[in-house]
Amino acid sequence: MGESRAETHAETSSNAGATGPNAAGRDAAASEEHLLRRWLSFSARRERRLEQTGSDPDPRFTFANERTFLAWNRTALALIAAGLAAAQFLKFNLHGLRLIIAVPLIVLGAALALASYLHWEDSERAMRLRQPLRYSWMPRVLTGGIAVIAVCGGILAVVDRLIH
Amino acid sequence: MGGTVTPPPDQDDPGLARERTALAWTRSALTMAASGVLVARAAFVGDLPELGVVIAVAMATLSVLTWRNGQAIYRERREPSMPQRLQTTAFGVLTVATVLVAATAIVVTVAI
Repeated sequence: MGESRAETHAETSSNAGATGPNAAGRDAAASEEHLLRRWLSFSARRERRLEQTGSDPDPRFTFANERTFLAWNRTALALIAAGLAAAQFLKFNLHGLRLIIAVPLIVLGAALALASYLHWEDSERAMRLRQPLRYSWMPRVLTGGIAVIAVCGGILAVVDRLIH
Repeated sequence: MGGTVTPPPDQDDPGLARERTALAWTRSALTMAASGVLVARAAFVGDLPELGVVIAVAMATLSVLTWRNGQAIYRERREPSMPQRLQTTAFGVLTVATVLVAATAIVVTVAI
């Protein structure tokens, strides 16, 4: 099955190699597909390695770990949504100023999304090895990030009023 | 006698943990759908309608997949003897999707 898929892929690439109006687009699609497949096999390998580590913990702990990841992922999406809302609804006299609020919120969301995945894997590994769970720095970053952005928002509001 | 109190493992009955987890997946699916609407709307406001349509379709698909994954877990793990399946791929997809949404959000934010 893997072979036939590889063949299809090779065919797609050779088609894309032929010059044509859509050659570049097809090439991009083929490389995207290639990237997706590589990523899926990478994640399958990670899964196998984690499965072979230690032994299954109490299912309740696995479920709790999953819920924690999902909650962090939702928090990340909420931060991104907050950044978008700031971009659309903040009315500064200097139009660009809202980016100072919006972009850090979105970046914080992306960083937390990545960190929460790593934290989930880390916790799963620790539980399988019957080791203590490691503390996460994510709550501190979230709290600090929101506080800094809020203070910046206040300062920007005052400065924006003073300039005009 | 360590400081931690661990409840005795009960492999036959994880109790309501499974149901709570399925509900968490449902909440995640709803959040995906809602943020898809927000990003798509912002893309239209920022005069990037094509990007808006792409992100709306992608997030709707992802939302349905997320919800179905939650339902599958709820049903699959009813069998106590069934081995646990790690959610590596599902969580990886969610993480990459969230980062892509953030990237799109930054593009849209600058365009508005």
